Amino acid sequence: MQQVPPYLTQQLDDVMSSLLVFKPELCLAGLFLLVLGIDLIYRKNSGKACRMLGCAGMLLVLAADLGQYLIFKEQGRFLFINNLILNHDNIVLKMIIDAVTFTLLVYFPWDHQLKTHKKGLGDAYTIIIASVLGLHLMVMSATLLTMFLSIEMVSIASYLLVAYRTESNFSAEAALKYVLFGMAASAVMLYGISLFYGFSGSINLYHPHMVANLQAADPTVIVLAVVLILAGIGFKLSFVPLHFWVPDVYQGASTPVTAYLSTLPKIAGFGLLVTFLRPFMFNPTWSRFDFTLILSIAAIVTMIAGNFAAIWQQNVKRILAYSSVGHTGFALMAIVTFTPQSMGALSFYLIVYAIANIGVLGLATYFANAMQAHTVNDYKGLGTKYPIASVCFVVLLISLTGIPVSAGFNAKVLVFSSVYEVYQHGHKGIMLALLVTGAVTTVVSLFYYLKIPLNLFLRKEDTVRNHYPAVSKDLLVMIVILSLIVVLLGIFPDALANLL
Amino acid sequence: MNILTLLIFIPALFGLLILALPASLKQSFKYITLAATLIQLGLSIWLYINFQTGAAFGGINHESQFQFVQKISWISLDLGTAGRMQVDYFVGVDGISILLLVMTAVVMVIAVLASWEIKHNLKGFFVLFLLLDMAVAGVFCALDFFLFYLFYELMLLPLYFLIGIWGGVRREYAAIKFFLYTLFGSVFMLLIMVGLYLSVTDPATGNHTFNIVQMMNPANYQQGSVFSIFSHQTLFGIPARVLAFVVLFIAFAIKVPVVPLHTWLPDAHVEAPTPVSIILAGVLLKIGGYGIIRICIGIFPEVAYQGAYWLGLLGVVSILYGALNALAQRDLKRLIAYSSVSHMGFVLLGLASQTAEGVSGAMMQMISHGFLSSMLFFLVGVIYTRVHDRDIYNFRGLATVNPQYTTYVMIAFFASLGLPGFSAFIAEAFSLTGAFKSELIPNWMAVCGSIGILLSAAYFLWTLQRMFFGKELLKGGDSWKQALTGLKLREKLALFPLAVLALVLGIMPSLVFSKINDSVLALVEFTKQMVR
Repeated sequence: MQQVPPYLTQQLDDVMSSLLVFKPELCLAGLFLLVLGIDLIYRKNSGKACRMLGCAGMLLVLAADLGQYLIFKEQGRFLFINNLILNHDNIVLKMIIDAVTFTLLVYFPWDHQLKTHKKGLGDAYTIIIASVLGLHLMVMSATLLTMFLSIEMVSIASYLLVAYRTESNFSAEAALKYVLFGMAASAVMLYGISLFYGFSGSINLYHPHMVANLQAADPTVIVLAVVLILAGIGFKLSFVPLHFWVPDVYQGASTPVTAYLSTLPKIAGFGLLVTFLRPFMFNPTWSRFDFTLILSIAAIVTMIAGNFAAIWQQNVKRILAYSSVGHTGFALMAIVTFTPQSMGALSFYLIVYAIANIGVLGLATYFANAMQAHTVNDYKGLGTKYPIASVCFVVLLISLTGIPVSAGFNAKVLVFSSVYEVYQHGHKGIMLALLVTGAVTTVVSLFYYLKIPLNLFLRKEDTVRNHYPAVSKDLLVMIVILSLIVVLLGIFPDALANLL
Repeated sequence: MNILTLLIFIPALFGLLILALPASLKQSFKYITLAATLIQLGLSIWLYINFQTGAAFGGINHESQFQFVQKISWISLDLGTAGRMQVDYFVGVDGISILLLVMTAVVMVIAVLASWEIKHNLKGFFVLFLLLDMAVAGVFCALDFFLFYLFYELMLLPLYFLIGIWGGVRREYAAIKFFLYTLFGSVFMLLIMVGLYLSVTDPATGNHTFNIVQMMNPANYQQGSVFSIFSHQTLFGIPARVLAFVVLFIAFAIKVPVVPLHTWLPDAHVEAPTPVSIILAGVLLKIGGYGIIRICIGIFPEVAYQGAYWLGLLGVVSILYGALNALAQRDLKRLIAYSSVSHMGFVLLGLASQTAEGVSGAMMQMISHGFLSSMLFFLVGVIYTRVHDRDIYNFRGLATVNPQYTTYVMIAFFASLGLPGFSAFIAEAFSLTGAFKSELIPNWMAVCGSIGILLSAAYFLWTLQRMFFGKELLKGGDSWKQALTGLKLREKLALFPLAVLALVLGIMPSLVFSKINDSVLALVEFTKQMVR
């Protein structure tokens, strides 16, 4: 018998012990195979079964997350020989992702356009669940390799979803645009990663020599590498100047897919950005690239560009696309400060944004189902015809604007105070600029968000219609629940925020 | 159950009741709303009677001196290294707020009586109305900045819809203008609020706090914090406390409104339906004044002291500019809207003087204007609902057509222009006395204020002459004459108490002064102390 090298047993032990805490991801993998199998066996009629199974499975995954949440409350750990990192912040993000996925799975078949698709929805569920595995890995990745692989996993799933329904030229164009830009972004990022690896000699972001080696390398190339990697992540987060794909794709994709794109990859992207930044932010010797400054500038530009561009839009989904760009900018504000407090604020902000955004897109579906209404002009006078939906619309938009009493307001206060806290200690002018931009763009955002209530309630219909088709109650129930959550979190934010 | 909590949330309860009722009962909604406001009025009168006076009940910067207090922990967020975020549900009243609360309750009843003219979408109207009522009462009671801000912003949305759905021709424009103006002010207020919160710690618990009363004590500011009075920090090159004062002042000045931030007001007032105009003029403008007293002067007294000249100047400009504009109007509602700008200028002038007389005058002016402007807008509503016109030149000799109505108009006009014997006279006299006495503002400001009174006499009397005297001549001819005769019982019920109040407060101003005096003295004393 040949002697086993000593490190091998050690590594095997590590893998074995990692597998034990890797339950949510294992569940997801199993769930994916199961849903895929059912989809293959029952073909077109599999939609319902796949959805039920998917929802039940996501609840199981959430339970597994909860287990992790309770264990890793104080301290994190590395998994699979330092390939993945598990700590409080990214477990919270994973739970957010799973909860959002659950909502999306419930919501998907309620969109008429998507439902009438001849392929059925079984494939969509399979793709979503596979992508959630990728999203989990994205927030946990601790090496450049896992980072890239998980991003690609999510990207491919997103490409498929965007192109799921391409009857019109517009959505086909949007899907193609998304794929091409996505590929280019990945390629750029891969180039940055290879430079990183070349200079540091390691793919492990948390390797003790990683930052030191990069610090010793030629500064210009390192700056280039960092910019390239940030560009790859920025494409997922859609901050300016990497937001150009957003309006077309959000408008062209079917509404539930837009809801998917505007929440899940974004949340995971923020998680990835945090894990990527952590080694640099906490290393006092790092001076090659001022992440705080660059990300602050990106945040300011994103807030301004997103919110101002939205003013001139007429299509509701396009308005929401630009508004989601604006929200990216605001959430970036929480990242640049990089304190434990701001991580909590970020998670809270992302949850609130996800709830409100899914709710609002659900309403876009609702009005499209009912009246084929796609632009704000189509909404004229519908407020009194569909009162519950319209009131919910107002509540959710108020939350997105950040006016009390709504969860969005509390999220805004939390982000503002985390930035303020840092300003108070460092007196960096850029922090003040962030605060002022955040405040100004809130007023700007009111301008376009209000267009929807304005048309719903204040304006009269152009042509008198006698028939207002009834819409299925299910979707409305979901929207009402989401609106209630928004209001309750507006009054009692500590119920949730203390858990983050 | 705390009585203030009851007062704040009773409208919300009735609003839920209206929401739950089917549309077939829509004729009852106005009575339900009326019941809610009457209960509120009853509670506020009880508060007024039981309100203790004396030096031990001054309020302002002493938490223990507030009355009817309820303080329960509401939001408590663990922020790790940054400590805990402490938000209390903290309500209470002192002399500054008690009378504004009573005035609000009265105005709300009048506004409901004016809502009889609302014909469509009743459920929405009354639910929004009650929501607004709740928010307004909350603003006057809140002593926690977070809570204050919540109620403050909660007013915006109902008002937007109330103006936007039930308003006049240009309602869309007026509603969005109002909303954007106010939000612009309040978003920056939010930044200052967060900054103050991070600067101030509660001495009892050591946590950061939103407590307004604690924010008034310089000892509670953390060392080196942005807004600490001792650390002399600057933001954008401006002293931090001055900047904070200016930002908060702009937010409230938009509400008051102070020239040049007043341009939303004529539009909003003119386009709003009568009940909303009444609330806007009667109550919402006072929230601006109240905010300046409680928040701007209360938290940054030394800045208010240094900047008294500019406050006074803005007040005088508002008085004169508003009055001159009112002279030029031919729409009766617009005229009254501008007269509001002019009259609210006295509030600012009185506050700028920072003397007991001036501040008392400002308080009195807010209360008096609350009643009088409600009355004026109600009176405009009376003719507008009948003939759908309010152009001054389309009416002539109304005195012969409707003597009863003309009597009320004359009372309201004479009271507003400051005829001795009416509340506005006391208010303006005290404001001007304060302005003359004060060393902080030059005498010419007080003189200009007096000219403002003269101008207000001019536009009111001229309007009286144009519309009510002379030979009877109506644009709509006989059909108008038919419509314009007589007053309904409901209208009399609304107008009579307001006329009586204007007179009673003019003859017995002690009804107000006895309750506010301790707080006014405490505020003036507190400012002096802080400056030293």
